Amino acid sequence: MEITLLLALLLLAGLFWTTAKRIHFNIMNCIGAVMLLAMAILTTYKVSVSGPIHFSMLDNLFYIDEFSVVVLDTILIVSALVCIYAIGYMNHELNHQSVSLNQIRLFYSLTYVFIFTMILVVTTQNLGVMWIAIEATTLASAFLVGFYNSKESIEAAWKYVIICSVGIALALLGIVLLYISAVNVFEGSHSNLNWSFLLENAKRLHSSILKIAFIFILVGFGTKVGLAPMHTWLPDAHSQAPAPISALLSGVLLNSAMYGIIRVLTIVNKNLGNTLYTGRLLIGAGLISITAAAIFILVQKDYKRMLAYSSIEHMGIITFGLGIFTPAAIFASLFHMLNHAFTKSLLFLASGNIYLKYKTREISKVSGIFKMMPVTGVFFLLGLFAIAGMPPFSIFASELNLITAGFAARHPWLASYLVLLIAVVFAGIASIALKMFYSTGLPPRDRDAMKPGEVNFSGIAVMGVLLFLICAGGLYLPSVIKDLLVSAVGIVKGGH
Amino acid sequence: MNYLASFGLQILVMVALAPLVNGIIKKVKAFSQKRKGPPLLQLYYDLWKLFKKDTVVSETTSWIFRITPYIVAGAVVLAALLVPVNLNLPSFHFAGDVILVIYLLGMARFFMVLSGLDSGSTFGGMGSSREVMISVLLEPSLLISMFTIGLIAGSTSVYSMMISSAGTGFLLFQPVYLLLFLAVFIILIAETSRIPVDDPATHLELTMVHEAMILEYSGKHLALMEWAACIKQLIFITLLANIFLPLESFLAFASPNSTLMSSLLLYLAKVIFIAVLVAVTEISTVKLRLFSVPNLAALSFILAFLGFFQYLLVGR
Amino acid sequence: MIENYLHLLSITILITAFMLVANKRVNEYIKTFQLQSLLLAIIAGILGVHHVSQTGDWEILLVAVITVAVKVVYIPYLLRTTVRKVEYKVEKDFFWNIPISILICCGLVLLSYFTITNIEDISDRFVKIFLINSTAVVLIGLFFMISRKKAIGQIIGFLVIENGLFTAAILSTNGMPMIVELGIFFDLLTAVLIMGILVFRINESFESIDIDKLKNLRG
Repeated sequence: MEITLLLALLLLAGLFWTTAKRIHFNIMNCIGAVMLLAMAILTTYKVSVSGPIHFSMLDNLFYIDEFSVVVLDTILIVSALVCIYAIGYMNHELNHQSVSLNQIRLFYSLTYVFIFTMILVVTTQNLGVMWIAIEATTLASAFLVGFYNSKESIEAAWKYVIICSVGIALALLGIVLLYISAVNVFEGSHSNLNWSFLLENAKRLHSSILKIAFIFILVGFGTKVGLAPMHTWLPDAHSQAPAPISALLSGVLLNSAMYGIIRVLTIVNKNLGNTLYTGRLLIGAGLISITAAAIFILVQKDYKRMLAYSSIEHMGIITFGLGIFTPAAIFASLFHMLNHAFTKSLLFLASGNIYLKYKTREISKVSGIFKMMPVTGVFFLLGLFAIAGMPPFSIFASELNLITAGFAARHPWLASYLVLLIAVVFAGIASIALKMFYSTGLPPRDRDAMKPGEVNFSGIAVMGVLLFLICAGGLYLPSVIKDLLVSAVGIVKGGH
Repeated sequence: MNYLASFGLQILVMVALAPLVNGIIKKVKAFSQKRKGPPLLQLYYDLWKLFKKDTVVSETTSWIFRITPYIVAGAVVLAALLVPVNLNLPSFHFAGDVILVIYLLGMARFFMVLSGLDSGSTFGGMGSSREVMISVLLEPSLLISMFTIGLIAGSTSVYSMMISSAGTGFLLFQPVYLLLFLAVFIILIAETSRIPVDDPATHLELTMVHEAMILEYSGKHLALMEWAACIKQLIFITLLANIFLPLESFLAFASPNSTLMSSLLLYLAKVIFIAVLVAVTEISTVKLRLFSVPNLAALSFILAFLGFFQYLLVGR
Repeated sequence: MIENYLHLLSITILITAFMLVANKRVNEYIKTFQLQSLLLAIIAGILGVHHVSQTGDWEILLVAVITVAVKVVYIPYLLRTTVRKVEYKVEKDFFWNIPISILICCGLVLLSYFTITNIEDISDRFVKIFLINSTAVVLIGLFFMISRKKAIGQIIGFLVIENGLFTAAILSTNGMPMIVELGIFFDLLTAVLIMGILVFRINESFESIDIDKLKNLRG
């Protein structure tokens, strides 16, 4: 059933080329969103009722357990919402003749391919296929990043493709090393690259090969996750892409690359028997990323870049939590992954509406959002509060959990440093928010030229849903999701 | 065979054979251009003629200019003594090793460079500075190659190196040897002023290196210098032939009790083979700009470096 | 015995990587890449024939054929058309001069040596050697990417990295599972197509393919 839906997604991507009417695009998009949601509900139901889903075809290529479902649901829900948002966004752009119908068709079909590749990342259990899927995400989204065809967006697309492809290539070296260690032990077996197989036999693999493989994989997939210092593509790509794509990149793509790291991390930790080695690497990478992001957020002049750096920060936080690797910390990290995905997509979608209205990404040229677009303004402001870690939003909950876990795991200094960095980021975001909402930096002539009023109504509905999700997540966690997360933690810890 | 006779044979072969190699190379080049070319023994005639002629020495030069030909010829012949043409000659166990060979040749070059500068002419100075540049670029790769061979043989003596490779089959199938062979072959080309680096046939001022340095010499002096250059070329060819193409085992297979004569013939065959290889290189390449010579040297260095490196990895 | 030949071929692949760094013109880059891919295909071919004769396993032979089709024929063709269409002027394309670049590359070879020899558990001597040589190719490819200014140079660098990885995979493990190999080829082909199109666009909007000029986005 899931496979059928997955293939239907590709079919949909192709179907966009059969028509040239805007209304057909919109209808197909709605169908796509419904399909994605159906898939989310279906798999979640199946997994929570009857455990991991196996598919015996193609050497057990597909395998979905609770942890996959956590990431898969994030992907599916955010993608579905973004697809609906995109209808309003693209219609607005089309009405203002910023883009042509042909470009929109390319946009939609590539978006569905992009979503398909991300789903593939988390549903396959063959590390090689996972690598291929992650590389394919880069390729599918390259033109989406360069969608506007301006100098800046082409530069961003070029950097994105080159840096990510090279980074990912290093991950392939890591996977080859993993494969060597497996071939050394189990000669001739055909399932050598399946992580479930590797995990089962983790104790028998060679530690020294695994250690170096882990470094390559961390650097490789870490490039895609946006860990500093391999993060340089991320602010460019996120700021230049159209808002729906920025939301997908930040909310979902980073998570699916992180998924790859976590799968390998589980194997390596089980093999080594302790978390000292991976812990040091991950905590170090995490803290460096957060520090770099904090510094850059303070000096940002472009609100989408600011959001992009905030993504780097949050990926750093998740990495930090994985480095600690106690159940509480893993729980917090996974929960943070969900929260960040929803919050950041809310912010990018809101920023997309602001961009449609003001036609600029510069903070100094945006002012008085409340007057111009009250609803979007409220969403954006609340989103900023949420991402900065204010209660009652869910990010506050997961960050609190994580810091507590850090102290509990005897890392008081590191945890304190994390708190300090989060405070710096908070200050940076707050000062930027103040500028955008209250300053009168715009010359009066420009301000008068713009009429107050909302744009992109389908988008506003989507943002409402996202805001509800992050509010609810901060206040009350339903037992279904909690159970799912807890069993996912068990899987990441190395159990079954 | 006694000690003295084997020395005599060694010197005889090296000194007498050297001009012939030049003749062979020229013949092959001429053949490729569908010319008849000079006779094989032309260089012998030239040397003979030069020895009979008067020597003219510029008044502005110092004693260095006059002494250089003798030093160069002496150093090169001494170096030639240390590179055995034949492993059946028993007398080369004494402590003269490849480093001595390299630096004897270095000393010869040093005096040649000095004499080029000494005459005070523009061409001499130009030739000298170019010669120094090229040799500086090539020395690292020559030393690395020789040290690697030395590591394999467990000794830096040329004789032991040749012995250690003589016991094996066709060595060039082994990556280490192939890499080093190519590295040393490039050095041979550069050191003997052959085409990608220098053109031995030209007297065009702007391109020549070796010819520019010895431009002021005449008569006996010139004959000595030219002869020394030939011997130096034969030294490198002998190194290549005896270290990298040790076909003695095949010879032993053909006739179990191989005589001195047959192994000398084999040596001659190998020398001709390498001479033809040199000629083919000269035919098939064009002369590089002087500023591209570092790239060729870099190629040689890479090959030597990788050879050394692969030796570290495999052991042999 | 077969290891000996494979060893020789892995070294020649390493030498082609060095040749690439020493080259100056874009067309020569493409030619060198073609040569390197051909060597890779020969390796795959030798291994493939070996496997067919021993176990009847034709997968590696298929990989060799695909390598020839994709890397030796199609991608160079694609790159050549790209180069022909963008207006390419011969100018200084590299940041460091060639001998220094080559010395740096020698350092990279040593780096790969020290990295891989530290892995104690690789027992097979030849696997270790193959890994060292091909990791060195990967590192040189990376260096090539950062040492060239033209966008085409970066594409070639990426391709050389892939070649290095492929050499590593095929020599030390006799090839990844078939589905993975095919997927990697597919990705590679798409990547080159996309990069080629981006090069066109860069050429259109910046009037040059000099990536030095891509400096709008910073901070």
